Amino acid sequence: MQETLQTLVGGLSLGAVYALVAMGFSLVYRTMGLVNFAHADIAMIGAYTASTFYLTVRLPFAAAMAVAIVVTGAIGLVIERVLRPLENKDFDLMLIGTIGFGIVLQALAIIIWGTTGRAVPSPLDAAPFTVLGIRVRTYDLLVMAVAALAVVGLGFFLSRTKRGAAMQAAALDHEAATAVGIDVGRSNALAFAIGAGLAALAGGLVGPMLYVDASLGGALGIKGFAAAMLGGFGSIHGAVVGGIAIGVLDSYAAGHFQGYSVLVTFLVFTVAIMIRPMGIFGERTVSRA
Amino acid sequence: MTRFSRPTAPRTALVGAAALAAALCACSAPGESDSDAGSDSGPIRIAIVNARSGQLSSLGDWEYKGAKLAVDEWNKKGGIDGRKIQVKSFDDQGDPTTGTNLARKIDSGNYIAMIGTAESAVTIAMAPVLKQAEIPNITSGQADALVEQKSPFLFLNGPTSTTYDTTLAKHLVEEKGYKRIAVITNNGSFGKGEHDAFTKAVKDLGVTPVTDQVVTTDQKEFSAALTRIRSAKPDVVFIGSEEVEAGLIVKQARDLGIDAPFAGAAPQGTPVFMDTAGKAAVEGTIVSSPYLGNDISPAAEKFAAAYKSAYGEDAEMHGAKAYDGANILLTALKTSKVATGRELADAIRATAYDGLLGEFRYNDDGVGITRTTIGVIRDGKLVEVK
Repeated sequence: MQETLQTLVGGLSLGAVYALVAMGFSLVYRTMGLVNFAHADIAMIGAYTASTFYLTVRLPFAAAMAVAIVVTGAIGLVIERVLRPLENKDFDLMLIGTIGFGIVLQALAIIIWGTTGRAVPSPLDAAPFTVLGIRVRTYDLLVMAVAALAVVGLGFFLSRTKRGAAMQAAALDHEAATAVGIDVGRSNALAFAIGAGLAALAGGLVGPMLYVDASLGGALGIKGFAAAMLGGFGSIHGAVVGGIAIGVLDSYAAGHFQGYSVLVTFLVFTVAIMIRPMGIFGERTVSRA
Repeated sequence: MTRFSRPTAPRTALVGAAALAAALCACSAPGESDSDAGSDSGPIRIAIVNARSGQLSSLGDWEYKGAKLAVDEWNKKGGIDGRKIQVKSFDDQGDPTTGTNLARKIDSGNYIAMIGTAESAVTIAMAPVLKQAEIPNITSGQADALVEQKSPFLFLNGPTSTTYDTTLAKHLVEEKGYKRIAVITNNGSFGKGEHDAFTKAVKDLGVTPVTDQVVTTDQKEFSAALTRIRSAKPDVVFIGSEEVEAGLIVKQARDLGIDAPFAGAAPQGTPVFMDTAGKAAVEGTIVSSPYLGNDISPAAEKFAAAYKSAYGEDAEMHGAKAYDGANILLTALKTSKVATGRELADAIRATAYDGLLGEFRYNDDGVGITRTTIGVIRDGKLVEVK
């Protein structure tokens, strides 16, 4: 029992990070119908930037995170601007373009920060505490709280603000949105920037939990992508549920199947996707593909 | 209206996957087309093969710097027989398939010897090609499977996993008197080798591990395995995984309230391990290593100083191993008056070299050193246990 609960707690914190990654994937997808394959590497750049400003420049952790979000947001804008001429013309090239950007970002990270990577100490000094025999890390609680705030904030932005509503409209019908005077290009740029900011949030938060190096994106990207698929690509709520599901599933699979855990995680994932190809919250209306 | 039709989702996914695959394959460095045939004059060509990109690139970086430092020192002294030594670095990406392609490239490029790789799996994949081409190879791998290749052209620049782990097991069981030993290893080539070597070593001493947990090489979350280890109440926990993963395991174990010390081979002596886990968490970790630190001998101090001035960073074990390996090769080249093929391999076998790791005396299995020292981490520094 204790082991089951402890495994759950362990899975939840990484699940929250996967949820953030999945939200970024979904936001860009629902707005542009595009899977941004550079997303995970943007998260890696975010992790490096946050750790640099936290460890080297010695800013407070929250300020370092804010810098990282601004920097990656700018990277998101650049990627969107470069790909914009292809919008509505060649979709496959856009996809390949994002893959290319991912490779460029990895190479940049190695040039700037080297190959060795770095460990980031936890910004919270508080020792883990025990509830009913379960050890809970204070930092994990912080991660979950920040992730929850990001979910609420993004939901509010998309449903309650004019710009958010414009993004939704552009997502639903690109031409009709243009006809009523919505600047679709700007809406796409915003989606890319917010998506990149979410990636930086995920990367920055995961830094003290893991180890920051150029391959961090690979670790986050595949699980985050699976989370977005499982929840229903394009759905923000789906991304959250999918992220937590993948995190917890992974954690239990590791406990029961040991060396075969990745295999089991993705087998379960495949079966789930076969039963519900649209994912848990997926609806095809959002999709522009 | 001349709008292009949007592709359907499966096609898009397929294109994406294909592009991803293409992107992954396209990262290797362009090949060396240079092929000067004569090997009696001009520079002596040596290939250094290591992971220079991808997950294992830090390991590859250390190895390259160690070997390059030795070569630079020899060149500064005028080379061998009046000939300069020319090294070329190849990136194997830590991938055995890339490695076999590189082995062929090294053969066709007329390199007379190879230094590397740091990954046993890659070295094993390259061994048959190098054996056929009669190119001596000094590897930094330590898996026992290297010895099982029975290639007369394959040499290790350090001890094998069995040496690391039998020394460690003896210390834990006989000197420390630990009877409850927990084991956590990953299922990669290094982790599997550590698992087999260590469990065999403790069983030979009459101890069966109280729990034996296997994790994957890219796992990040170890709550399930660690909760089981905690309930087994071990005296010590043996870890068989690479630096970063070992660090994460120790960090999470301490968070879960496991107080027992950890033990392991070379990775736990590195700064990457200590930084990842945190200084307080690694206190008391027991390490089996042939190179406990840069202050173990005057030669090590000299090496560390040269390394620091060349690269601006502190030397560690992998660089030291590669430095020793390169020096052994260069010494053999000198004594054999730049022989190649089998003659050079025999010269390496005959080389008695007192290096940073200890006294190298090769026998027929390609292993030159069969001794490690036990150290313990005190205040963030690895110190020898007397």
